[in-house]
Amino acid sequence: MILQTNNLTKSFGSRKAVDGLNLEIPEGAVYGFLGPNGSGKSTTIRMMTALISPDEGEVFIQGKSVQSLGNDALGQVGALIEKSDFYKHLSGTTNIEMLARMDGTDFSRVQFVLERTGLANRGKDKVKTYSQGMKQRLGIAQALLSKPKLLILDEPTNGLDPQGMKEVRDLIGELSSEGIAIFISSHLLDEVQKMCSHVAMISLGKLITNGKVNDILTNAGFVMIEVLVDQLEKAQDLLKSLEWIGHVDIIDEALRVSLEKDRISGLVQFLVQNELKVSAVIPRTSLEDLYLSMVGRERII
Amino acid sequence: MGGLIYNELLVITGRWRSYIGFIGISILMPLILWGFNLGGGSINSEYTSQLGGSFIMVGSVFNSLLATYIIMNAFWIHIPFLVTLAAGDSVAADGANGVFRITLIRSTSRLKILVSKLLASYICTASLLIFCAFWSLGIGSIVLGTGDLIVIDNGILILEQGEAWLRMILGFSLAILVMCMVATLCFMFSAMVDNSVGPIVGTMFLIIIGYLVIAIPLDFFDKIEPYIFVHYFDVWLDAFKDPIPWESIGKKTSILVIHSAAFFVIAARVFIQKDIKS
Repeated sequence: MILQTNNLTKSFGSRKAVDGLNLEIPEGAVYGFLGPNGSGKSTTIRMMTALISPDEGEVFIQGKSVQSLGNDALGQVGALIEKSDFYKHLSGTTNIEMLARMDGTDFSRVQFVLERTGLANRGKDKVKTYSQGMKQRLGIAQALLSKPKLLILDEPTNGLDPQGMKEVRDLIGELSSEGIAIFISSHLLDEVQKMCSHVAMISLGKLITNGKVNDILTNAGFVMIEVLVDQLEKAQDLLKSLEWIGHVDIIDEALRVSLEKDRISGLVQFLVQNELKVSAVIPRTSLEDLYLSMVGRERII
Repeated sequence: MGGLIYNELLVITGRWRSYIGFIGISILMPLILWGFNLGGGSINSEYTSQLGGSFIMVGSVFNSLLATYIIMNAFWIHIPFLVTLAAGDSVAADGANGVFRITLIRSTSRLKILVSKLLASYICTASLLIFCAFWSLGIGSIVLGTGDLIVIDNGILILEQGEAWLRMILGFSLAILVMCMVATLCFMFSAMVDNSVGPIVGTMFLIIIGYLVIAIPLDFFDKIEPYIFVHYFDVWLDAFKDPIPWESIGKKTSILVIHSAAFFVIAARVFIQKDIKS
């Protein structure tokens, strides 16, 4: 494992922000970290990067305890925590050079990471003249400076326009293909599903589920299906009366239904018995559906 | 460590407010020197009237060395404020600007980063006083000329020009030490909070309280005076006594160094354990 947390716990006053969190991030994985605002994602990431001390538990990076060794354990970690802030009155290149000096990294690497993030031609400009997207790319540049084996990204696409988001997503894909393990927290569930091999979901500081994305979707207790049926409104009304149906919505001339996995044949049978013509049942379960289902359920609990 | 200090100096020299002290001195000193040049005669007359009964005065006693001595006495309360402008920013500004989210996640320890910031603050503090000396002694020598230094304190001390320059170097060195202690105090506050104004206000508040305790002639204040660091700020004046009271200088500087060390230990303890939430 490149990163492991053992019983990670942190409270702020009487509020438990993170509660006994256990995570294992395999080498080379792209690991999505999901949870609603205030669920403890940022606090967890800050504990991983030695910005916040846990009340209990430990973070291990390549077997080295962050809590025992402090910043020495972070030698092969690159991180971007929320929005990237730099010395705005200095140029992008100067900022990265300063960090290279801190890391003891060769200055040739500075130009490399600026080119890699598409900032080489703006490196001499002061950071205060950068757009939010450029700042975020500079944030990724500094994270890549020390040739990390693990990249921790906390909401890296926050505040970016669609083009900026795509650029960051493409960059993450490239880095992942180079074997760098990536731990990424994001609200963009569709993107996480596309990018990540593994995922963990937390709510109110507690782990709800974690594992490979495909395994989680396969083993989920419910499915989301798209049903093509001739009388949409009638079908919707009928299905709403059933206890074992979760949600029923009409989207794009089809019914989107959430239900328990082993009830699909029962649903088809029910619609046919009510003289409706079912032409197709298409599985549509997404990470977002799963996330909303699980986080919603946790919150109610 | 050299690289880290260089980083800090890059940050400090890139901020325009780091130059406020230098700009202030660059505006004030020419005015003061111009004023001395115009009104130097009255100061000369005052000295001559006090000394004329005992000495035969030839020429003017007023020169850049005497002007510097007077300026140092006058600036003693104001220089700490200029020092805090840079020291107050050193840690707190990084917290407020979110830069710690990038600098404190690296393999460099927080202690190293803190030490580099403190040393950079010391360099700024020393630069400010050397700049002050450059104006009062350097430019002052051109405007007012040089000569022997006559110090009237608890008696009359006449220092030959060569000796007076050495005393000035000693005086400024001690002044730098005192101001480094002020910088460390401000630095300690800076490590505790995430805004730059608090450390400046906190430091100046303590210094002003200290000055008041020393100035007000009450028995209780007299008793606590030795425990107040401001009490030792006048160590630079010992450079203009004869013979130089090395023992007193040693004691006072030791107390100031101990205070600085204590302030830094507190700052380090707070900073190393601090949760970076912003």
